[in-house]
Amino acid sequence: MSQTEDLVKRLPTEMGGLDAGPIQRTEHEYAPWEKRCHALANILDIHKIISTEEKRRGVESLGAEMVGKLTYYERWIVAFANILFQKAILTPEELAKKMDEVAARHPAVQHNE
Amino acid sequence: MSEGSGRVLKPLPNVVKAEGAEPIFKAGDEVTISVRFPVGHYRVPTYIRGKRGRVEAVIEPPAINNEDEGFGRNAGVKRHYYRIAIPLTELWPKYAGSKNDGLRIEVFETWLERN
Amino acid sequence: MNTHDDDHGHAAATAQDDPPPGYYEIMETAVRELLVEKEVIGGGEIRQMLEVMDTRTPALGSKIVARAWVDPEFRARLLANGRATLEELGIDFFEDTQLIVLENTDKVHNVIVCTLCSCYPREILGLPPDWYKLKPYRARAVKEPRAVLAEFGTVIPDGVEIRVSDSTAIVRYLVLPQRPEGTENFSEEELASLVTRDAMIGVVRANTPEKKEKSR
Repeated sequence: MSQTEDLVKRLPTEMGGLDAGPIQRTEHEYAPWEKRCHALANILDIHKIISTEEKRRGVESLGAEMVGKLTYYERWIVAFANILFQKAILTPEELAKKMDEVAARHPAVQHNE
Repeated sequence: MSEGSGRVLKPLPNVVKAEGAEPIFKAGDEVTISVRFPVGHYRVPTYIRGKRGRVEAVIEPPAINNEDEGFGRNAGVKRHYYRIAIPLTELWPKYAGSKNDGLRIEVFETWLERN
Repeated sequence: MNTHDDDHGHAAATAQDDPPPGYYEIMETAVRELLVEKEVIGGGEIRQMLEVMDTRTPALGSKIVARAWVDPEFRARLLANGRATLEELGIDFFEDTQLIVLENTDKVHNVIVCTLCSCYPREILGLPPDWYKLKPYRARAVKEPRAVLAEFGTVIPDGVEIRVSDSTAIVRYLVLPQRPEGTENFSEEELASLVTRDAMIGVVRANTPEKKEKSR
């Protein structure tokens, strides 16, 4: 029997009933880009481009490592990019080029080799 | 829904409803949550599968199956969600709180079996 | 703070002083700009949506709770159909999202959670706190709600039933806390000031007048 089945059968985002420690009462002020990301989600839903359900599935399909290590809106924006590629609304190349262009606007952004 | 009229119209005879339009279950029905393992997307948490509960309410309006919707389907047959009551003692064998404590959760019609 | 950048993200005058955008902010900006350039979304839509979102805060929820406390007919309509009643107050909802208002009584205490993601009544309360979206709350609220509530300082007597609502699909929930003792002569505004976001999630009760005095 495959030992990896549980990774497939149980979504990395499902938490109900798992063992967990105390609740840390963390609150953070939402960064402007996070609010914009949330606004983008609402707009994409209204336009029927990416529904709430598609967004949920998009985040789930990032897999356990990314779900565990990326923060909430980081997961959303990566999921949106993937879904927009799947729907041929954007291409990976044009997003990569646009990201370079946006990064270049700020003098201090590091460019990864 | 008009507040003032107080008059409920009766359905016309010989009008057949669309598939899924009529809820299969009603408040008070005893049900069991199905056990299956969809790959890729689901909204029925693992912890309630196979558990027994009671329908508390039918939720309107009917909706597309969210497992399909997750992959882009946005049209087709709509069915109902139901608000299901499940005692926490049914979910967790070692539950230490009051035996009256319970879960309320919406479950899609395709995941419910009549007891 | 560039909360309402125009949709081309030009923060020209202050670019030198702002911290550099991180990788994900760059991605968000790039996705947004491409979608506007391709006319997939309109140029002002994000800004307009941010303005809508800014008006959804716990203060809105508190007003609704206070009104329900003083107006039994409003309360009854809210409990019968949350969404329809709130739409009359100008609060719109997306798609087919429904809202069920859960009434706390002497016999029942409600608390809400989303174990699968972070469903929350954002149309009323705005964006949720971090802890609501993280593992400890989402894992334990459905399994040991009394211990979870105790961490928030809330002790529910054994004779009171706890109902945990796990949002999974089209319904969002708002808890209607019990009106505290000693508030018979309070105005609606004073009542609203006793109602916190956490009371509408269900992890605490509404503040009593004494508790509110102490926290000044």
